[in-house]
Amino acid sequence: MQDDTLQEQTQNLVQELRRGMIVLAVLSQLHDEQYGYSLMKLLEDQGMQVDQGTLYPLLRRLEEQKLLESNWRMETSRPRRYYFLSAQGREVLKEMTIEWSKIRNTVDELLANEKENDK
Amino acid sequence: MNLIELYLEEIRRQLPSRNRDDILKEIQSTLMDTIEDRNPNPGAEPDTETVKAVLKEFGSPRKVASQYGAKDYLVGPRMFPIYLRVLRIVLIVVAAFNAVGLIVAIVSNTGFSTSFFEAILEVVGGLFSSLFTAFGVVTLSFLGIERAIPDNMKTIIDEKWQPEDLLKEEDQDKVKIFDLAIEITGSLIFITLINFFLDRVGIYYLADGHWVSAPILTDAFLRYVPWITAYNIIDIALDLYLLRLGAWNKIASVIKVLNNAFKIAVTYAIIVGPAVISVDPAIWRETGLSSATSATQFTQIGNTGLDILLGLSIFGLVVDTIKRIYQRFIKGNSAGITIEG
Repeated sequence: MQDDTLQEQTQNLVQELRRGMIVLAVLSQLHDEQYGYSLMKLLEDQGMQVDQGTLYPLLRRLEEQKLLESNWRMETSRPRRYYFLSAQGREVLKEMTIEWSKIRNTVDELLANEKENDK
Repeated sequence: MNLIELYLEEIRRQLPSRNRDDILKEIQSTLMDTIEDRNPNPGAEPDTETVKAVLKEFGSPRKVASQYGAKDYLVGPRMFPIYLRVLRIVLIVVAAFNAVGLIVAIVSNTGFSTSFFEAILEVVGGLFSSLFTAFGVVTLSFLGIERAIPDNMKTIIDEKWQPEDLLKEEDQDKVKIFDLAIEITGSLIFITLINFFLDRVGIYYLADGHWVSAPILTDAFLRYVPWITAYNIIDIALDLYLLRLGAWNKIASVIKVLNNAFKIAVTYAIIVGPAVISVDPAIWRETGLSSATSATQFTQIGNTGLDILLGLSIFGLVVDTIKRIYQRFIKGNSAGITIEG
């Protein structure tokens, strides 16, 4: 019972951690244009699972914030909306990547210190 | 309509109007991409099982639509279509009552004078005032209904949702939320009317160019007001409880049956008690209707008509009570409504 709670707690926290990463992950894959489903697959293949209910509203929001651009194209039998980074989005991605490196280094160091203390 | 079309239509109804078509087109495109990808026979028409599995994975229409909408609604997208229907009915009824009052006034007052047109303006002003009041009461009712359904209840509804529900949802469950909404709004309007505007229940006529209302309910009626208010409040509380619960259970059925018994008792007391309608002969003459019927006759007709209506409502209540007792406690099944959104 206690194990279940612990597992659930960990799961929720990991989810929260991943949620924070989604914007960066999405932006990083849009140098080349992608439609929603292909982007979802692309992320999934690299170990980042994002469900469609999160991804699509996020893409729209990023477009509203002018970080992405999109266009509808008729492909095979149905239209698909392709998203790609805008000039502003490329800039933001560059900044976010630098910030991410800093955060990762800091957290790595914090965790390394923690390991030392544990010994 | 096939399952996919029904699903998309249901989402469409719940999406915020801004960018609705665009959002829907995108959901459709993704849905078709996913189904195509999951199809065990690529190139062939996808089988129903694949479609159902993908729809289940996407989640209930409410859940999908809510991901595109703002969080804080006065009346959320799930309840909004029902809100509009109730609002339309209530506004039409209020407008119709005002129109009848106006026609009666025109018929019973001859001659057009300046004061007559002033009186007409007064009626139009009164019409707007009652329309706004009705609008306010309906909106407040739905504000309560919207908040009576807690978020975790919405999550449970979403988890229970099955693609097959799309096929039955239209004709069954929706209508029942609509019924509850109508009942709550109706009860609130009725409580407001008998507690705050009882003096407005009467005969309206033009006197010296001004609209005057003569009350027709006697003091005897006042004694019943707290009791009538009480059973209407119980009805509202029960309806809100049902909205939270999602389906009838034993407690709700017992409350309904007891409240029905309470209503029957109060209604019976009104029928056998002293007359609740009475018109002052002096006022009756002023209305200009004296030539048609005398005040006493009008009083008699009014009371007899009311007794007949109350008698019919007792009959309806008895039938409803017997039906509920049979379904819930004798037949022993859980037949009842299921609320889905």
